[in-house]
Amino acid sequence: MSIVALHTQALVLPEAGRYLDLLGRALQAARLNDTFPDRRQLQSTVDSLREGLRLGVYGELYVDARAGLPNLASFTRVATDHELAAASLAKLGPRSELEARRGEAEVFARMATKHAYLEALQRLVLAPVDQHRVLLRRHDAASGTAAFRIELTKLDASGVYLRLAIDLTQVSSLWRRKVVDLEADGETAAASETFRGMVYRCADLDAETLFVRMHGIEGVQVERVVRGVIGPVLFSLPVGDGVAVRRTMEVPDDALGRAWQTWSLGAGAAEHERPELLVAFATDSAAGDVREEKSNDPLSPLLAERLGPTEGPRYRALRERYPFKVFKDRKFVATPGLKAVAQGVIAAAGTRNIVYDLRAT
Amino acid sequence: MSAKANLDVLNRQVAYSGEGISVKTLETEIHQERTVQDNKVDELKGLRERNVEIQGAMAEELKKLRRFSDYLNGTTTKGGFLAGLKEVLSYIPGLRGLALSQRSIEELLKAQYHLSARRVKEAAAYVDTLKQSEQDLYKEIDRINMKIVEMAKNEREALGYVLELKAVQEQLKADEQAAEAGSVEQRDIQANADKVYAKLAEHSTNVLLYGSAEERYARLKDNTRKLAETIRNLGNDIQQYTTAASIKLDMASAQIQAIGRAADAAEVMLEMKRSLDVMTESMNVTTQFVSDTQMFFRSNLDTFVKDLETFDETTTGLLEENLKKSREIEEARIKAAIDKAMARQQGAPAGA
Repeated sequence: MSIVALHTQALVLPEAGRYLDLLGRALQAARLNDTFPDRRQLQSTVDSLREGLRLGVYGELYVDARAGLPNLASFTRVATDHELAAASLAKLGPRSELEARRGEAEVFARMATKHAYLEALQRLVLAPVDQHRVLLRRHDAASGTAAFRIELTKLDASGVYLRLAIDLTQVSSLWRRKVVDLEADGETAAASETFRGMVYRCADLDAETLFVRMHGIEGVQVERVVRGVIGPVLFSLPVGDGVAVRRTMEVPDDALGRAWQTWSLGAGAAEHERPELLVAFATDSAAGDVREEKSNDPLSPLLAERLGPTEGPRYRALRERYPFKVFKDRKFVATPGLKAVAQGVIAAAGTRNIVYDLRAT
Repeated sequence: MSAKANLDVLNRQVAYSGEGISVKTLETEIHQERTVQDNKVDELKGLRERNVEIQGAMAEELKKLRRFSDYLNGTTTKGGFLAGLKEVLSYIPGLRGLALSQRSIEELLKAQYHLSARRVKEAAAYVDTLKQSEQDLYKEIDRINMKIVEMAKNEREALGYVLELKAVQEQLKADEQAAEAGSVEQRDIQANADKVYAKLAEHSTNVLLYGSAEERYARLKDNTRKLAETIRNLGNDIQQYTTAASIKLDMASAQIQAIGRAADAAEVMLEMKRSLDVMTESMNVTTQFVSDTQMFFRSNLDTFVKDLETFDETTTGLLEENLKKSREIEEARIKAAIDKAMARQQGAPAGA
């Protein structure tokens, strides 16, 4: 059993290294655009964790047991090392001196190793746990309108890593004190605490719900809500001589989760030699210029399709007030053993999704 | 007859190792060794201050999280749910003065978690620094040990030579009594006796200097070892605590997110309390550690520094005394050296 705390799995070398290697390559294979959290930053965090484990700077890797991604503790671990790197390097002194004393005592070997790790780490830009950005798109002082893009990158409490982007226009003459505050230079802006808090709290809602929620704010016209979600990650990693495997422990109870459980008990049960990994990458947009309302996401139908006979008509009435359409999509990256799992889920939902191949080793 | 005394001993070179010894060189060398210790003590004092500062900050940050737990336990607030939650939230940076609904508790808790993890890491970094200092001191002890052995060997050489000179001196005394008074032969014997006496004076001084150096280096080694042990104990304490705090933070990360999310949804408040008990435990460990470390420093380091000062005074006193004493006590020193050499030769305990 590798659950060590609430929703937390611990992986150690060598399986932790295999997992991070597969995850890093899956991120590259997925060809992520800017709807998703910055791929290079996430890659740097994944690579740093792998290097930290390899060098013995970290003893284990903590993974969210539901989403299969490195969890808050893992993200924070590299982020705090990154923040303290410059000060730590100054305190450690020149690496050559530590290397020269490597044989003298264990502490010098460890310090030399840590020096090398921090030196490389400080040059990287890592994935943030949370990051808010407000980008000014247009500002028309005469009409008192300003168009912004609000971006939130978040390691969600559900364990997935997501980016939420909201394009909106403030039309109120009082907009300076509203959702977004524009600085005196007219070029920089910051979301108000209330709006920022609301966006943060609602980040795990789907785009259409968010669109409706934001549109309800006085003086705000929402043009687009886009979400890009990395995860869940399903992995199966042989341990030692292949007698046992480490798997994502708390998969969601959805079509993919159920297919994964079936695979684990069927074809996957015999797979004790090869590491397997499958990652889902979902996008979810609600905007006025979406041509066709459709969900091409085999795991997430449109909200209207999920509502019962009571809520359905109310929701349709609500939608008539806001002219937008929704498009959902999902792509997968999978090793050969798990490719069939993704394809099975896609076939059952009748969607057409990309499944990128990932080499197992 | 002076021919009976073997005067070859006067021309023999005594094989002392090292660069020779004098009161001045001994003082200089001891001073150099003391400087190494003083630097380490200064370093330790600096670390103590910084460490207490970091521990204080760490305790403060964990306290903020603990307030959540206490609040949910119903032990600290009396003004009702909203007043209580506002009070608790006021401990979180950036939240003071804001309306309850404005900021996400999940985001704030994650920021607080990050800060706590950073503080633990800062404290943990001192472990390696302390271990490095400890290694430096053990290297110093190796060096001092070599000095002690060298001084002990030289003292043995000096003692042996003093005994040889004493034998010649006695022989010359006997020869002088047998020689005719005022004769050339007697004058020759007296001249050689003077040379023997001069050599005796020189090497008796060496007996005492090497003996004193051996003793002082041994005391210096004891103090260096105490310093190394002090540093090791402090390093172990910090390591033990930071490892425990770090594990607790690692284990609490999902709980922190779950709590934040639950608080944002204004749900499952009791679950928050249960999950934050981990933080309460962490806080208790911190408080205990801060208290223990301060006590440790009070009872050990200050005493230790005082001991070093006393040692310094003793050393200086000894050196001054040696400088003050000159010819009028030389006889006594020669006698002491000879007594010591005789005692050593007879296998009796060295005593001096």
